[in-house]
Amino acid sequence: MSCRTVTTDVTTPRVQPSRSTGAPRVVAFLCNWCSYAGADKAGSNHLPVPAELSVIRVMCSGRVEPVLILEAFQKGADGVMVLACHPGDCHYKEGNLRAFCRAELLARLMVQLGVDPRRFYFGYVSAAEAERFSRVTLEFVQQVRALAPPLAEDRKG
Amino acid sequence: MKTAVILCNCCGIITQNIDWEKVRAMLANHPANPVFIGDDLACGADSIDRLRAVLAEEQPDRVVVAACSPREHENTFRRLMADAGINPWFLHMVNVREQVSWVTEDPAAATAKAARLLHAAMNRVLRHEPLNERAVPVHTEVAVIGAGPAGMQAALTLARADRKVTLIEKEPMIGGLPVRFEELFPDLECGPCLLEPVMSELLHGHAGANVNLLTLSEVTAIKGSFGNWTLTVRQRPRYVNPDLCIGCMICAAACPVRRANRWNGSGDMAAVDVPFAGALPNLPHVDASACLKLSGRECNACLVDCPVEGALDFADQERECTIVAGAVIVASGAEEMQELPAAFAGLEDVHTAYTMERLLAAYGPSGGELVKGDGAEPSSLAIVHCAGSLDENGVPYCSGTCCRAAVKYARLASAKVDGITVTRLVREQVMPGVAAGRQFHHDQSSVVRYGDFAGLCVSGSGVGRVIAVPGGPLVPAEMIVLCRPVVPGKGTADLATLLELDRDGEGFAAPLHDLSGSCSSVVKGMYLAGSCRGPGDMREAFATGTAAAGLALSELVPGRDLIIDPQVAVVDDRLCAGCKTCIMLCPYQAITWNGSDRVAYVEDLLCRGCGTCVAACPAGAITGRGFSRDMLRAELEGALS
Repeated sequence: MSCRTVTTDVTTPRVQPSRSTGAPRVVAFLCNWCSYAGADKAGSNHLPVPAELSVIRVMCSGRVEPVLILEAFQKGADGVMVLACHPGDCHYKEGNLRAFCRAELLARLMVQLGVDPRRFYFGYVSAAEAERFSRVTLEFVQQVRALAPPLAEDRKG
Repeated sequence: MKTAVILCNCCGIITQNIDWEKVRAMLANHPANPVFIGDDLACGADSIDRLRAVLAEEQPDRVVVAACSPREHENTFRRLMADAGINPWFLHMVNVREQVSWVTEDPAAATAKAARLLHAAMNRVLRHEPLNERAVPVHTEVAVIGAGPAGMQAALTLARADRKVTLIEKEPMIGGLPVRFEELFPDLECGPCLLEPVMSELLHGHAGANVNLLTLSEVTAIKGSFGNWTLTVRQRPRYVNPDLCIGCMICAAACPVRRANRWNGSGDMAAVDVPFAGALPNLPHVDASACLKLSGRECNACLVDCPVEGALDFADQERECTIVAGAVIVASGAEEMQELPAAFAGLEDVHTAYTMERLLAAYGPSGGELVKGDGAEPSSLAIVHCAGSLDENGVPYCSGTCCRAAVKYARLASAKVDGITVTRLVREQVMPGVAAGRQFHHDQSSVVRYGDFAGLCVSGSGVGRVIAVPGGPLVPAEMIVLCRPVVPGKGTADLATLLELDRDGEGFAAPLHDLSGSCSSVVKGMYLAGSCRGPGDMREAFATGTAAAGLALSELVPGRDLIIDPQVAVVDDRLCAGCKTCIMLCPYQAITWNGSDRVAYVEDLLCRGCGTCVAACPAGAITGRGFSRDMLRAELEGALS
């Protein structure tokens, strides 16, 4: 195993990560115990997950404060997902129910803030539901892709 | 600032779709100042050694590992960092195997996604703070509340492992309910006989020396947390010196007073007496409200006859003691719903399961004869199942134990009274299990189905008394047994409130998890055993008593400190507005109110790091260590870059 090398690569030209133009940017907050495990299982099963999806792992969906979701839109997200344990399955008893209530209120608030609520998705994915994780993420990204870019709307306003 | 970024190939699985060279080029300019370290299989034993050496040499400020799921190897790399002299909480893992390489077909897209997630991770680690696990010395003594089968079994299991146990029982005797039942389902085993070896070991055995039994005692206050609880226990006076009394019960024979025997549900007993023959510890107790001497009247009858001077102690006082324990096992039991429904209240010879058990016991009020209040044998017995269960006027659940008892009563009644007509009025019958099936199939009683408990109507009296079933027959019912639902009772309800345990919808102590944590409570360091968790039988009581003791043994080990995960919530006193939102939300009662400073306080021993309070705090005063607002925000920015 001695063939591997340590590279301190400071000579490479400095390039910021680029994203292909037109690809939507979607952030998904996943709880560690159910939905993140479901995403891992989707990987083990080699199911398709949108390349545009960026997963942020939290211990519980109850950790995701609504302000963070709004900040995501402010920072240019085209869509935000919060995926939780199914009701009754929460590792922390009821964090997913807190998340659900916050999501309900947030969806209404988004309308007032001029963000299309279709850009936000709250749902449940268990540790076993690899197929479901793949499906809901593909469908959501597809849905977001079909909407006009939110910043473009802003500029018009 | 220097960040070691370990890029794992996972033997080509990751590099099949991700081009690490491109990723390095994209991120070389990141402010985290990355030092990229490639590895073919970072989790391999040789690589671990090599990476540990590299990190020890390089001493990076932060470490990012792009490899498999953190659910797989986060702890591996944390350990590696600790061994290399780097704070393990400076780590963040990027899941490029399960969540990028395996799910992204297009290599260009996979490489871009890996770079994006690494960018987010490098943003995130810049916000990481060094964290340290906290080691807390623990008390290994255990307090067990309730000396029924579950509590006794828990206490003995602990005592056999040389743990000091305080066993707290509110009654004057131990053994719980089954010690009062002579015939136990399914094989009509004698309750006190079955429990005798247990009680004997507890009271007189080798292991029992580790158990401090407090009868007539109740917990009145508790403070502290896992590993260091302080319980205040109030012990009512027995007026009998346990060290001197020889248990001859001459005092009971001499006592001129009779009081109702609440343990039998009928009959009476002396003011100084035992609830029933064979009750242990073998000591009488004095009911102060019934005793003439303690009521200020002239009576020394028991004192005159007592053969041991000082055994009766009328100067005995209520005592309050303080118990320090690392863990608390709640085994406070359940009880039958007490009050009778209106259609049956006030009628003669109507029994609940409990008074029926006492009637059938040889050491009960009738010496084991199945007789009515007038002393005569009944010609008929009607046993009503589901009397208040599965019922909108009662409880919505099935207690799961009453059908077994009902079949047992039917069998015993037929054996005790020649020619008795036994009818079981059933709404539903639940008799799972092999032994139960055997009893069920040998049951000789006639069965009448009814639909609505409130529709049952009693008429007539004596031999002619019947229960009218709407749309059904008239059931002869000279004696009636109502199988009432099993409910938490005041004991468990009050205790759950005092200990701040969660309760389920019906008031039983709620387990941490119904399936995988049924003997743990939501409060760390408090365990549940027996029917305080919900209706259960003796087998469950013994099993859960053993289980609860096992949990206490495994989590409180002499000489081993309690290690507290540092990824907990922390309140910033300067920002806390004192709204108490977090206190209401915490699923683990880990947040308390500091009244003097008017701020919330998170007990790290109890916090499990879910972050619900962090997200809810309107003042943003709570930091979720390891998942702080700054970290998530930085990660978000990176993901959207």
